[in-house]
Amino acid sequence: MTDLNQSRTEQIQRSLAKRYRAEKRFRLYGTMAIAFGLLCVVLLFSDIISKGYRAFQQTYVQLEITYDANVLGVTDVGDSQQVALGDFQGIVKKALKARFTEVAGRKAKRDLYGLISNGAGYTLRDRLVANPELLNQTETLWLVADDDIDTYYKSIGSKAGAFIGRTSEGRQNWVAQLVESGDIELRFNRNFFTHGDSREPELAGIRGAAMGSLFTLVVTIMLSFPIGVAAAIYLEEFAPRNRWTDLIEVNINNLAAVPSIIFGLLGLAIFINFFHVPRSVPLVGGLVLTLMTLPTIIISSRAAIKAVPPSIRDAAIGVGASPMQVVLHHVLPLAMPGMLTGAIIGMAQALGETAPLLMIGMVAFIVDVPGGFTDPSTVLPVQIFLWADSPERAFVEKTSAAIMVLLTFLIVMNTLAVVLRKRLERRW
Amino acid sequence: MVNRMVMNVAIDMPAGLMETENEKNTSVYPEVSVGVPLVASPKMSMRNVDVFYGEKQAIYNVNVDIGQNEVIAMIGPSGCGKSTFLRSINRMNDTVDSCKVTGQLTLDGEDIYAAKMDPVALRARVGMVFQKPNPFPKTIYDNVAYGPRLHGLASRRAELDEIVETSLTRAGLWTEVKDRLDQPGTGLSGGQQQRLCIARAIAISPEVILMDEPCSALDPIATAKIEELIAELSKNYTIAIVTHSMQQAARVSHRTAYFHLGHLVEVNETEKVFTAPEHQLTEAYITGRFG
Ligand SMILES: Nc1ncnc2c1ncn2[C@@H]1O[C@H](COP(=O)(O)OP(=O)(O)OP(=O)(O)O)[C@@H](O)[C@H]1O
Ligand SMILES: [Mg+2]
Repeated sequence: MTDLNQSRTEQIQRSLAKRYRAEKRFRLYGTMAIAFGLLCVVLLFSDIISKGYRAFQQTYVQLEITYDANVLGVTDVGDSQQVALGDFQGIVKKALKARFTEVAGRKAKRDLYGLISNGAGYTLRDRLVANPELLNQTETLWLVADDDIDTYYKSIGSKAGAFIGRTSEGRQNWVAQLVESGDIELRFNRNFFTHGDSREPELAGIRGAAMGSLFTLVVTIMLSFPIGVAAAIYLEEFAPRNRWTDLIEVNINNLAAVPSIIFGLLGLAIFINFFHVPRSVPLVGGLVLTLMTLPTIIISSRAAIKAVPPSIRDAAIGVGASPMQVVLHHVLPLAMPGMLTGAIIGMAQALGETAPLLMIGMVAFIVDVPGGFTDPSTVLPVQIFLWADSPERAFVEKTSAAIMVLLTFLIVMNTLAVVLRKRLERRW
Repeated sequence: MVNRMVMNVAIDMPAGLMETENEKNTSVYPEVSVGVPLVASPKMSMRNVDVFYGEKQAIYNVNVDIGQNEVIAMIGPSGCGKSTFLRSINRMNDTVDSCKVTGQLTLDGEDIYAAKMDPVALRARVGMVFQKPNPFPKTIYDNVAYGPRLHGLASRRAELDEIVETSLTRAGLWTEVKDRLDQPGTGLSGGQQQRLCIARAIAISPEVILMDEPCSALDPIATAKIEELIAELSKNYTIAIVTHSMQQAARVSHRTAYFHLGHLVEVNETEKVFTAPEHQLTEAYITGRFG
């Protein structure tokens, strides 16, 4: 008898050791999977950040600017037409000539003028309009350098050696002189956050695309959340179970799997060609993204509604709540965290969506920052696509910077989803 | 159809039910329930009730009355249709798509399943307490005030406060919770939660209260409290209670109904059911031969 017991115990001991080994192995696999995932994230982020952080700084050159009325051709700052035609780039050129007096010859001069961005003139114009008393006065100003200079200056002293590219020897010389006198430096790149797109990398900013994304997402959430929740409530709470509702259910699940570009085509055919919504605007973008996110929101909302314990429903019905009251007073509040999480995940998806927007013309080159739902605009991922496609070297860092902005948006939205869920979640 | 008519005749002549009084009824299922299923001037009466879940029949031709201020207990083996029958009485089964109820069910002579009967209004008159305590995830106060608010029973806050207090007092919970009315009802103990649910049910002053195994999730002390409460409530309300505990049925009820596989086998004075059951199936159940 005891013999039998002993061999039993040994048997169990042996199988236990085996089980523990298997468990350990399994834990190891899990840890490895997570480590691999983290590694990928770290690699991705460090690559993007190392490439992109420079874009938040821009090379500026300090010059002594004289608002010479003769050069400008402006006699009255109040006259907007005169100011519009004023040769502000001319006073920049003059200032450069004054700084580097030794430069002679047309080619060398053209080279010299290229040190400063073409956009500098606009900065000066705005300054003069804001301060009319500056006319015929002189002041020392930091002006945006040209993108080639920017790229060159940033690469000086880097491990890979300075990136010369199109920077001529003369320019390298001038930069060296400016460095010596402390008249060139990296400053925070405000333009990146206040400007729309531009052909000149040093002037290009993310604001146009960010605003476009914002307006598009506002349209998307305003349409898809109420429609999605209403559809989910109807399907879960009121619709009879029959062949039609089964069909609808299957189709909603299918829609969630349809490639997004198809929604773009649909939007093009319906919203633009049939309803004549203007193309390239956040309104039509939002409509298309609504089509795309609706299935996600409906499915997650239905799951949230299903997760509401039936006992709560019974309780409400038992004290005489009407079906609508059961939904409004009990089901909806309890399902809200889940619904919001689904909606925010849908929005995050919509924020990163490019393909369907290409179909409806949101890929255009748009300089102005959109101010409303019907202004032509582009969105963040499309902007990334456009910049990644541009030949100028300086756009490389802009692309990475734009990716960082997009990722920030996404992280903020996902954090919001978690916080909202924690806030609204109630235990029962 | 023919069967039905015979039955109706039988019910019209309650004396006919007594035919088998002296010897044990041994038929598998009696044509009509043995004992005294019917009473004079009932609060609710059920006639020829069949309940189906889709194709499957869960209740077969039940005829029974519930008297005014009576406590009627329903017992029977698991799955015999007690909950189904109870939920048919206040049309909770409407929420189950596949469920179909036929027959005549009346409350004060009004047909419960008539087209003009509003199920929402009916449930305000026939309240329900469930097996698992199911307070709303709201404060204790709001749990009790929910029903009165829904039905507009209080026009002023003071009135509502009073309803909440009397309901909680009647449910024997007031002294325990009066200092924390603004705390979540889900934070109470199981027994307290169940009494809160009872308070919620009586806050709208229903005429009938249906209880589906209200004590099955509770310990003996909490159970005793609720049983006391039922005795107290029966002064004002008509109560139908489903229970698995025969002792409980014996303690709280005036009459007891025994269900078996969807058939109502026997309805009798509680004492009689437990001391001298008329039907052989009832006897088998209460003596513990199955169930
Ligand atoms: N929603 C439903 N759909 C289909 N069949 C159901 C449904 N609810 C109950 N039934 C069936 O009806 C029969 C009676 O069930 P019911 O819940 O009324 O039994 P019960 O007597 O309350 O049992 P218990 O004592 O275990 O609670 C069972 O056979 C059950 O399977
Ligand atoms: Mg039951």
